Amino acid sequence: MLDIGLAHYLVVSAILFVLGVFGIFMNRKNVIVILMSVELILLSVNLNLVAFSAQLGDLTGQVFAMFILTVAAAEAAIGLAIVVIYFRNRGSIEVEDISTLKG
Amino acid sequence: MTQPLLAQYFPILVFLGIAGGIALAMVGGSILLARQKPDAEKLSAYECGFAPFDDTRRRFDVRFYLVAILFIIFDLEVAFLFPWAVTLGDIGWLGFFSMMGFLFVLTVGFIYEWRKGALDWE
Amino acid sequence: MNWTLALPELVLALSGLAILVAGVLPRRDMTFPCTMMVLGAFLLSGAFVLTQPDGMGFGGQYISDAFARFMKVLVLAGAALALLLALDWNRAEGLSRFEYPVLVLFATLGMMVMISANDLMSLYLGLELLSLPLYVMAAFHRDNARSSEAGLKYFVLGALSSGLMLYGMSLVYGFAGTTNFAQLAQVLGGTAPISAGVVVGIVFIITGLCFKVAAVPFHMWTPDVYEGAPTSVVAYFATATKVGAIAAIVRVLAGPFGGAVDQWQQVIVLASIASMILGAFAAIGQTNIKRLMAYSWISHTGFVLMGLAVGTEAGLRGVLIYTPIYLMMSLGAFSVLVAMRRNGHAVENIQDLAGLGRTDPAMALGMAIFMFAMAGIPPLSGFFAKLYVLLPAVEAGFWLMAVVAVLSSVVSAYYYLRVVKVMYFDASTGALDARPSGVSFVLAGTGLFTMFFFLMPAPLLAAARQAVAALIG
Repeated sequence: MLDIGLAHYLVVSAILFVLGVFGIFMNRKNVIVILMSVELILLSVNLNLVAFSAQLGDLTGQVFAMFILTVAAAEAAIGLAIVVIYFRNRGSIEVEDISTLKG
Repeated sequence: MTQPLLAQYFPILVFLGIAGGIALAMVGGSILLARQKPDAEKLSAYECGFAPFDDTRRRFDVRFYLVAILFIIFDLEVAFLFPWAVTLGDIGWLGFFSMMGFLFVLTVGFIYEWRKGALDWE
Repeated sequence: MNWTLALPELVLALSGLAILVAGVLPRRDMTFPCTMMVLGAFLLSGAFVLTQPDGMGFGGQYISDAFARFMKVLVLAGAALALLLALDWNRAEGLSRFEYPVLVLFATLGMMVMISANDLMSLYLGLELLSLPLYVMAAFHRDNARSSEAGLKYFVLGALSSGLMLYGMSLVYGFAGTTNFAQLAQVLGGTAPISAGVVVGIVFIITGLCFKVAAVPFHMWTPDVYEGAPTSVVAYFATATKVGAIAAIVRVLAGPFGGAVDQWQQVIVLASIASMILGAFAAIGQTNIKRLMAYSWISHTGFVLMGLAVGTEAGLRGVLIYTPIYLMMSLGAFSVLVAMRRNGHAVENIQDLAGLGRTDPAMALGMAIFMFAMAGIPPLSGFFAKLYVLLPAVEAGFWLMAVVAVLSSVVSAYYYLRVVKVMYFDASTGALDARPSGVSFVLAGTGLFTMFFFLMPAPLLAAARQAVAALIG
């Protein structure tokens, strides 16, 4: 029968991480999706840390994951706030519209 | 851990069965036993803070976002309180006052948002 | 013991909380008093930094050594002067809000935590405490579409880079078994081969840090954010936070990952060469002076990374000499940018400086000094900065990097000199508004430092040597 070991966690978290990174780069629709992708990346990191922590028998990883969790909340709040003021100014949050600044 | 993997999940199967059974009993019981007197108000969809019949792509009031943003922060910082509460006996006064310091910082943030009027709906 | 060791940070944190409450409670505008209080907090914290003893605290999370003190003094000085510049500019733009100095204070606190980090965890927390206020500051002009777009771009790329770095940290933690810098140095410095997981983790961490210092190929946010964000905010971005970013990358690569130098050296060499080339060529076509400064920073980043890539004591000393000199040049140049207003409106094209040599000779002279110094013309301070990173690279045999550095210096001299030419030889399109006294103060101070650095470089050199000795033990 299948035993869930460290390698499985690492693979899942790597998949989540790649999904998050691609979600940021390939996304052409909506900024909110980018915020979700960022959260996905942070979740994959948390999964990694907790899996390693269990494997190593060391609590550092779990403490680290706790800090990341709370910082991610603050980051999401600031991200949402910036998206709201951006929307107020431009009336759209489509990624393709974010191109006033270039050259 | 010699038992096969799927067997470990047996309690969850039992749990799902009981949950489904109770739900069916409640819905079925009310259909069979209660009086049915539908009217327009009762059948309308309930939504918090909105007129229920409107374009589904209608924009949310931006004040919902503000409340959500403030909620996220104060909600997740509670994550630190659980481990603190569990280990309070072992960490002594230093641990106790560390958390008091943390709560003090949160309170300063709270004073700021209150004073800024972020908590007033109008 | 812990508490007295971290006194500079504690003082800053507590005053930040107090100033926030002091700013929000009264019903009148508290911008000016709050700015003064924040400047006072910086001064107090700086005094504590200077008297800080060596030591380690908070379970090995926090370290105080000569390197940390050196960088913290620079960060505090840069933040204080940038805040002084922002005071007038924000008032003129209608951005006078007491939150601004508080945000600067917390960002500076984050940098100080990051500089004193002795563990991946405190490094991350310091970095986030720095980044979160910066996102808000970039979007500080909230009714301006360009400012909010700059904030949005900065946020997305900043969050991505933090994510990449965190993923690297998790891998390093898993495969090296610790997040503590001293223990990491022990694990990686041994004779045992370094596991592939750790190498991948280090590369991810470098990627994240390269985002923060804006090294090519992770530079693309810099010009956009510089152009869109309010000039007063950019003055902070381009000075204090750059010092913090350099401090972080030096601390991480030379400290815990010093034993894995073979693994990261090539990456840094590549980033350095690419930054110098792109910084030199992309700036040529710019008409917006804020964008020009962004590409100028990218080129400077290449020089800083060159010293880091060499990895020797002399190379790192070069980085530590480069940092304060860059800080002064950049602060000076931004004091001119902040003063660029005509009829009450901010202007930011290079052509708007036309005729400045006649309408405001003192400011034109200052700007000319900073431009010459950034181009690396002797005997100004910028020349010595480049010299002290170039020599170790030549000595260690990094010929390609050294040649690219010299050539990119020549190319970038073109666009720096173009600014000087516009100021002195183009017909004026109308005088700029009178400069505020804060600008004059910063301009004079940084100008004198840049001009006369060569007369007494000894104190800085000695401090840099001490800091490097503390860093690589």
